[in-house]
Amino acid sequence: MPALELRAVSKSYRSQWTFARTPIVRELDLEVEPGEVFGFLGHNGAGKTTTLKMMMGLSRPDSGEIRLFGEPHLNAAIRRRVGFLPENPYFYDYLTGREFLSFMGRFFGLDGAERRRRVDELLERTGVATAADRPLRKCSKGMLQRLGLAQALIGDPDLVVLDEPMSGLDPIGRREVRDLILDLRRRGKTVFFSSHILQDAEMLCDRVGILVSGRLRSQGRLRDLVGDRVRSWEVTVVGGREPLPGEVLSRRQGEVLRRVTSEEELRALLSQLAGSDGRVVALIPQRATLEEVFLRDVRQADDCAADSAGAPPAA
Amino acid sequence: MEILPIALNTFREAVRDRVLYLILAFAVVMILASTVLGMLTVGGEEKIIEDFGLAMIALFGTAAALFIGIGLVFKEIDRRTVFTLLAKPIRRGQFLLGKFLGLALTLAVNLVVMAAAFFLLLAVRGLPAGGLWVAIWLTYFEILLVTAVAVLFSSFSTPVLSALLASTVYVVGHLTWSLKLLEEMIESPAARATIRMVYLILPNLEHFNVRGDLVHGVPVSWGHIGFATLYGLGYTTLILLAATAIFERRDF
Amino acid sequence: MVAAVALGGALFAQGRLESSAQVRGDSDHLLYLPSGRLLKVLDLGYSEVLADLVYLWSIQYYGNYPGGVRYDYLLQIYDRVITELDPRFADAYVLGAAILSVEAHRPEDAIRLLDKGVRANPEDWMLPFEAGFVAYHDLHDYPRAAAYFATAIERPGVHPVVRRFHAEMFNRAGDRETSRRYWEEILRTADSDYLRGVAARHVHDLTVEIDLAHLREAIAEFIRVHGSNPADLRDLVRGGLLRVVPVDPDGRPYVYDRTTGSIARARGRSAP
Repeated sequence: MPALELRAVSKSYRSQWTFARTPIVRELDLEVEPGEVFGFLGHNGAGKTTTLKMMMGLSRPDSGEIRLFGEPHLNAAIRRRVGFLPENPYFYDYLTGREFLSFMGRFFGLDGAERRRRVDELLERTGVATAADRPLRKCSKGMLQRLGLAQALIGDPDLVVLDEPMSGLDPIGRREVRDLILDLRRRGKTVFFSSHILQDAEMLCDRVGILVSGRLRSQGRLRDLVGDRVRSWEVTVVGGREPLPGEVLSRRQGEVLRRVTSEEELRALLSQLAGSDGRVVALIPQRATLEEVFLRDVRQADDCAADSAGAPPAA
Repeated sequence: MEILPIALNTFREAVRDRVLYLILAFAVVMILASTVLGMLTVGGEEKIIEDFGLAMIALFGTAAALFIGIGLVFKEIDRRTVFTLLAKPIRRGQFLLGKFLGLALTLAVNLVVMAAAFFLLLAVRGLPAGGLWVAIWLTYFEILLVTAVAVLFSSFSTPVLSALLASTVYVVGHLTWSLKLLEEMIESPAARATIRMVYLILPNLEHFNVRGDLVHGVPVSWGHIGFATLYGLGYTTLILLAATAIFERRDF
Repeated sequence: MVAAVALGGALFAQGRLESSAQVRGDSDHLLYLPSGRLLKVLDLGYSEVLADLVYLWSIQYYGNYPGGVRYDYLLQIYDRVITELDPRFADAYVLGAAILSVEAHRPEDAIRLLDKGVRANPEDWMLPFEAGFVAYHDLHDYPRAAAYFATAIERPGVHPVVRRFHAEMFNRAGDRETSRRYWEEILRTADSDYLRGVAARHVHDLTVEIDLAHLREAIAEFIRVHGSNPADLRDLVRGGLLRVVPVDPDGRPYVYDRTTGSIARARGRSAP
């Protein structure tokens, strides 16, 4: 049974004054298996946050179905197994970090001692233990973000939903969050997070979905989308007699960076170098990146839109 | 039970709201000022002090209900603190009820402080205070009703509009008693039926007003106290149900 | 600096406004007081406080300004506003009536106001008493006063003196028999020696007056019939004009002067 399932979920924004409807999310079909880390990727404004809000029952889809662990998502009880971190979280600013976490913990039926223990543990884990007794209004964005993570985990959820978990964090903080997510996967939890930073997804995710203008353009295992195939090699060369195969990308202090795009070309380069006293300093295979997949999807979406805009009306 | 932590948290939040203390300070000052007014009269200052004190308690209690009630729900939604809360295993109705109960507790404390000032004043002036607590008891249920209305409106509209609408309901609630008089004066049975319906739907807040009787020494029957309390609780529940229905449909 | 100028300006303007208000005549703002019935609908349940405030204002107003014109609206304020807002506001009726009768010399209006209070407050004995007192003191309308006192007596907690007023009104009105009847009842139900003494004295005096009146009547009749004064009071009995020769309550005979035909009290002190 999938941990999370969306079927044909759509939502439009209805203007208050006119009858215009702006679609935000269109016909989303999505599945996340238990134990996976799923990256939900897209530009800002693509509809990611809206989708996450619908998943958590904060807003209603116009059509379609959402299920959490097989249960209809509006069932409040199922949220016992889900933790949520909203984007740019706000909390009650007169509470201290500890008070806030403790308050959140109450909804999971934890008794006093157990709750205290869990709160302490999470404060440690998310790295805000030092600021735990400061009122939240005095905390920096980074600390609030970490506290947001902590409250998402307070109920020891099986599914963790994070909206832009890296936002507001410095590189160290982002690494910590990455480690946290990996740790969650190790423990068998399911993680669903949205981001517009593709590198994070590349490092963490088992599967991704790319959302462009409200539609899921690509979805699947990272490996499948990006491909295992090496597409080119970047070779740093010293010496050798021109002409050599491969496009020159740059030169620096006698070293030349060249790109070759096929196995044959690579073999030719290597043998010519060997034959002309050239030396290979570095050889780096380039696989396709997620960014390229993403950009391709965006371009396709634009083309589609252009087509439908320019297309003659259907007969 | 998920409602309780929300109620307590709301109480905690309300108690830190400066507006509450401002209203309270004002109220206490006014209650004590009644003694100054009492000096202006020719005999019978007891009536002045009692009338004025009870009226101030009702007035400021209602003001507190409106200001704080409207502010609290709106603040929650506006500041998006509601996201983290509603993502928890809690139903929307429970959330709203929790907020309401927190408010109810806050307003009860507010009322008790004002009442304490009032009874203290009476004690210092050597005036009897027996039976006046009934006025304050019923005032509390009137305030609860108004609070529910404030929560209803602020669950879907801006604070300014909510304040306006809730105040209007308060004013109308104190006018509905005259609808009954109107009904008697009208001939047409259809018009009478309509007026009767309107009267039943709108809240009649005068049911909670026993200040006149008590200050004039006319005791209020237990029956009236009981039924008025029941009316208040029933009506408040209906309003909260409506608020919950609206709140459940709301997108965030 | 700016604050000082602003404050000075405001105070100066206030002073000018206040003096011009006096010149304009303060009865102007009385006209802006809407009727109590309308106010009662609009006041959102704060009727009693509003009544109190208008009452307090009226006390200041009527206490502070000289001149006669202000009484024009006195009844309006008390009758139409204050007591409409709070019909049980006993002090307002009393004070309003007091000002009306004592200062404005309008006892009828005072009684009108008190009538309203009497109707609206069936448990209050003070209001009918005040009405009766105005009727007695200002209008010298003793039967009317007696009626008010009778109403007062029926009400709970009435002060005993009201019954005495009541009894005495009949005497003032000339109806000594009824007066004595009430005084006798007071005497019968008196619970203190003082009261007994007072009542007994009234009964005594009334009895004497009644007797003397009877005797004078009989003498006058005798003269009419016989053309001359009776020789002695027994003639009146013989003539069938009296059943028996009355003596005063102390047992002393009345003094009859044959030459003048007049009758007078017995001489000497009466019994205590």
